[in-house]
Amino acid sequence: MATSPTTLYIQVVRITHVYLGPAADRFINRQIHNHLHKEPEKISPADLEGLIAWIRIAVSLITDNSELVEEYTNQLESLANRAADPKKNKRAL
Amino acid sequence: MYKRNVPPMVYYGFLAVLYLFLGALLPASKATQQIYHLSGAEYHLLLFSVQLPLVLFWLPAFFGYIKLNEYASLIKKSPEGPPYQALARGLQWLAWGLAVPSIISLILNTIANSHPGFHAVSLIVGGYISLLFPLIAFNIISNGSHALAQRTKAIVQVNGAKSLLFIFAILGTIFCFATFRHIDLSHAGNSLNPYYLPTWLVVVSLVVPYLYAWFVGLLAAYQMLLLSRHTQGSLYRQAFQYMAAGLTLVIISLGVVECFRSVVPRSGHLSISAILIATYIFELISTGGFILISYGVTRLKKLEEV
Repeated sequence: MATSPTTLYIQVVRITHVYLGPAADRFINRQIHNHLHKEPEKISPADLEGLIAWIRIAVSLITDNSELVEEYTNQLESLANRAADPKKNKRAL
Repeated sequence: MYKRNVPPMVYYGFLAVLYLFLGALLPASKATQQIYHLSGAEYHLLLFSVQLPLVLFWLPAFFGYIKLNEYASLIKKSPEGPPYQALARGLQWLAWGLAVPSIISLILNTIANSHPGFHAVSLIVGGYISLLFPLIAFNIISNGSHALAQRTKAIVQVNGAKSLLFIFAILGTIFCFATFRHIDLSHAGNSLNPYYLPTWLVVVSLVVPYLYAWFVGLLAAYQMLLLSRHTQGSLYRQAFQYMAAGLTLVIISLGVVECFRSVVPRSGHLSISAILIATYIFELISTGGFILISYGVTRLKKLEEV
């Protein structure tokens, strides 16, 4: 079973929460609205690559800590890989 | 406290100019001139040198609350919006509380210098106005920090509460000792004291509200420090820690300043004393606090703008 769009959005927010705390959902909503021009809940696995690229740029503007930016985007990329490969995702779940 | 269409810094400019202008324009205190052997021009120059640092201290305070207000407006629709709006409103009262009582006291004391019968009224009104601002400010800040703490589930710990009460007991005792040594405690109705109020009224309307305000302020500071440890999100927490540390510094230092002012009421006579220097030191510390708040809030704002 593939990751449902809502779950994907929630998972992105959950990862982001570790870094941006209460600002996480607002941050992700803004990136999706402004750059992908979609409703946040409607993102699909195909959108993740572009979203991660925008998130990397945005977070680099917030902090100079490149290790933290790498750690955050690596986690999002792992999520993207899992979302793109439903079998892996099922195992992960 | 300000209308939306007028930038808040305009109010700062107006208050600063008004304060300096009144200092330069209002008649010199004869008593101060006699004590320091000053001419009229020398008196006004000395007054200006005392007023100028105060006006400079107000600037980061106004800047800090404006920044926090901007951040609170950015996130007003989120669950954290109302608590941050409360913090901003509380800081606003603190910032205005630095300026307004100084201006009112300057005017009232000048009237009292030429009309000695007005001296008691001037001190009483000045004392209550000085109390009003921190009382309201600390109460609102406490509401805001409590609401934020509830969202983060940062519950006050027993050891933390004990430490808080210990600090409050020490500060409260020093304050009561410093206040009551001026007062004839054997006659509750005696108003021959620096406050020109009967002893019972000093206790009920000054000592108790001040102690309440400081306790609420200390509680808010403790909750902010607790929050800065427990709030989630490493980048958010870093920014929040600056703001929480700044708010704690502001609450404690302004609490101490208000303590000095209540123990030694504004007499209207310019006096270069240890209390004045201590007041400046603590106002300087509060300025550092307001700068930390501005820095933290600027970083928090960045999270909402990229």
